[in-house]
This record gives sequence, C-alpha cells and structure tokens, in this order.
Amino acid sequence: MVELVPTLLRQELARLAESDQRIDGRAQFEGREVTLETDCLYNAEGSAKVTMGKTIVYAGVKFEIRTPWPDRPAEGSLMCGAELRPVAHRKYEPGPPSPESIELGRVVDRGIRESGCIDMSSLCIVPGEKVWGVMIDIHVLSDGGNIFDACGLAAIAALRTAIVPAERFDVGEDYTLKVNGTPIMASFTRVGGRYIYDPSEEEELGGDERIHITLGDEGHLHSLQKGLRGVFTPAEFAEIFDVAQQRCGELRNIVANQEGN
Amino acid sequence: MMGGYGDVQLLRDDGLRLDGRKIDEMRPVSIEAGILPAADGSAMVTHGLNVAVAAVYGPMEAHPRKIQRQDRAVIDVRYNMAPFSTSDRIRPGYNRRSREISKVTAEALESVVLVERFPRSKIRVEIEILAAEAGTRCAGITAASVALADAGIPMRDFIVGVASGKVEDTVVLDLDKAEDNYGQADLPVGILPNTGEIAFLQMDGDLSPDEYNLAMEYNFKAAAEIHEVMVDALKRRYEGGEN
Repeated sequence: MVELVPTLLRQELARLAESDQRIDGRAQFEGREVTLETDCLYNAEGSAKVTMGKTIVYAGVKFEIRTPWPDRPAEGSLMCGAELRPVAHRKYEPGPPSPESIELGRVVDRGIRESGCIDMSSLCIVPGEKVWGVMIDIHVLSDGGNIFDACGLAAIAALRTAIVPAERFDVGEDYTLKVNGTPIMASFTRVGGRYIYDPSEEEELGGDERIHITLGDEGHLHSLQKGLRGVFTPAEFAEIFDVAQQRCGELRNIVANQEGN
Repeated sequence: MMGGYGDVQLLRDDGLRLDGRKIDEMRPVSIEAGILPAADGSAMVTHGLNVAVAAVYGPMEAHPRKIQRQDRAVIDVRYNMAPFSTSDRIRPGYNRRSREISKVTAEALESVVLVERFPRSKIRVEIEILAAEAGTRCAGITAASVALADAGIPMRDFIVGVASGKVEDTVVLDLDKAEDNYGQADLPVGILPNTGEIAFLQMDGDLSPDEYNLAMEYNFKAAAEIHEVMVDALKRRYEGGEN
C-alpha cells in the first residue's frame, strides 16, 4: 500500500518542533511507557513480550543441533530474524520478507552478536560434529512506531531467559543459556528538523531519516544503522548518543528488574 | 488414517484423560478483544496451551483488482504459525497446510459476514498462532470472529471453532497434543452458535456414523460454552466506554 505524502502532518510536526513540542505531548527525548513480560510463550525455549506505547512485539528463542561450519568446528551459531507480518499494520503486505523486515532483523542481530553476550564456543557440543544453533524469531504484532527498539528489547530479554533443551535432543540435561550482557537499542527519527527519541507511528509517517544505536553494558557501541533518506551532522550524533546512553541504561534496568522477580 | 501408535495409552485406568479431563470436557478457554492498537479489530484466544491472535483490517479497497467482486466483499484470511509456536522451529513462510486452512477459514467467515454490504472491497483477517498444542485452526476461527465483531463488521452470527475426536475407540471432546498425535480421528468444526448451522468442517481419521454424531454433539455443547466467553470478551471491551 502506498502512503500518500503526509504533507499536512509534516507541517504540523514542524510547527510543533519549533516550540519544542511533540504531537503526543512528550519531551524531545522522552520515551513511551515500556512493558516487558518474559516466559510468555509455551513452546519457545525463551520468550518475551514487549509493548512500547501502541507497539507490541513477541520474541521466541528456539534451538537446533547442527554441524559446525568447517572453519569454526567448535563454535555454535546465533541467528536473529524479524517478521513484519500483515497482522501488525494495514501497510504491511503478505509475501516474501520485505527489505524493511530484513533490515530490522539484521540490525537487531548485529547488536546482540557484536556485543559478545553469547560465547559461541559455549554452544559447542562435540567439536567438529554437533553444535547448538540458537534462533531468535521476532514477531511484530502491532506497529505503533519504533519497532526497532521494541524488537531489540524483546530479543535480548527472550535470549536471557532461554533454557537449552538438551534433554529433548538427548545431549545431557537442560541448562540456562549463558548470556553475558544486555545490549540495548535506542532509536531516533528526525521529525520537524530535529531528532526525537522513540518515534510514534505518526512521527515516523511524517518524519525523515532514523538512527539506531545499540549499546552494551559498559556503554560501548555494538551496532549503528542509519535508515531512510536524509543526512546528519557529527554534532547531532553527539547529542543523541548521550541520550542513548541514558535511555539504554533505563531499558537495561527494566530487563534486570524483570529477571529479579 | 490417523494414529497407528497402539502402544500409547491416552485414557487412564480411571477413565479420565492423561491431563485429567473427562471425555466430554473442554480445555479452559479465555478471550480478550481489542488487544492490537494498530488493527481495526483484534482478539487473542487462549485455548488450553494454544494462543491465537487475530487482527482485522478493513473493509478496504480490494487489491489486486482481479480479486474484486462487484456484489460483495472478499475476505482475505492468512493463518500463520510463528516460528517459535511449536516444539521444533517452523521455517517462516507459507506452506500447504497454512494455505489450506486460510482458504477454508476465509470461506467460513464469508458465510457469516454480511459481505453484500461492502461490494468491491476486501476485509483482511490475519491469524497468528503464537503457541500451538493441537486445535490452532479452531482457536484461530474463534479469534477471527471476535476480531471481526470488535472491528464493527456486521455478521449474522459468530463462528465458534471447536473439535472432537477419537482416542482408544472413545469419542472425546477437544483433543490435546498427545491425543491429536496418537488418536484415531479429529473433527474440527466452525459452529454458528445462534442458528446452529455449521460453516467450517474438516475431519480425518476413522469415525463410525454413531461416533460422528456423538463427536458433533460434544462440539455443539462446547461451542455454547465458548460462545459465552466470546460475548463476555466483547462486553468487557465495550462496557467500559473505551474504544
């Protein structure tokens, strides 16, 4: 479905930005309410449901036993994919994975993979013969804006609750997957000429380019992505990077609190 | 023929089933309407361990044009199982099973929706299975009809998805996973609770005419129970005045 150019919406967003306002009343770098629920899917070995405003996503972790890659005989693998299914919004059409859903899955994948939170050698069962393949599938059920952050949060929260189903595969006893760290994504969209954190659906519709920053526990960068048409300055990045550090810390606390319960 | 695993005991010596249910007892069902903010109507059905979510979009312009009908709306259903919904991961994407279920579900829904009210349009129904433990097509149909009602689409009745089957030569209501895998028959139907008509029917396995009649009797009994839960979900959604 082709969205008509939302000219009026863009004008309104620009007018609001001039007086430092957002269309839903939030401050420039204020996020929407976030809820996190884990162990919520019966057949997944790890699972999470995240809501961010009107956005709802689920992530489920599954394991399989596979033969290792020849050049890495003692390492397992991790794969993260996202599906933007037509259930999530009237704008999504059925069919093979769209470039948007591939980008989404890969950006989340990189943040988790590059943070090093999974030691691939810990996924080895028999070197050269059997290793675990870990698959995180993200299902977007409702796109109310900023699905990137919601997907990133659901993916790492699901992974951190995963139980390796060794008994079912006859390779020992079940055990909790070891995850060293909680990489978190923070996303910004240019709306009315300036960057805002956690764009809503309307802000994405009437906004421009977006920047996704994934940070590890120590505040190190693990994944960056600029999407859509537009450019930014180093000074703009410096500003949102500082915000990302704060917001990622807050979301990391939500994951920690959920695990503490 | 289903089954063929004669060594799996599905009925206990006390006559109850492995999960402790009586032979004509349904798994617990709970329903929530209006759970997806982006959709025009939505519902989540938890039926035993199954979780089915349905979203409705439309009526909208029918694309591509060749699917348009001059005299009525078409209902475009997609039934999809999430990769993490089963014990072994499912590769994402459509398969023959989901295509068939989508097709017969669409035809069932077209039998109750007042499609003549919306010529040349399309109503999209998206059914996503988040957890699958036997009975997902029925949970999907139930979810779809609550989502259609939630979207304000006029219908002459609900459709309630229910199934009975046969295990160890005994007709039982609402097969669970083990009973579905090792049982002798499965009879999923979509029942119109107010008119008593049937809009969805599939069956596989082996049933005698008497067994069929008993299975159908169980299905109607269960449909009446689920219907109450459906009505209750919609009342809870709208009695608060929130929309």
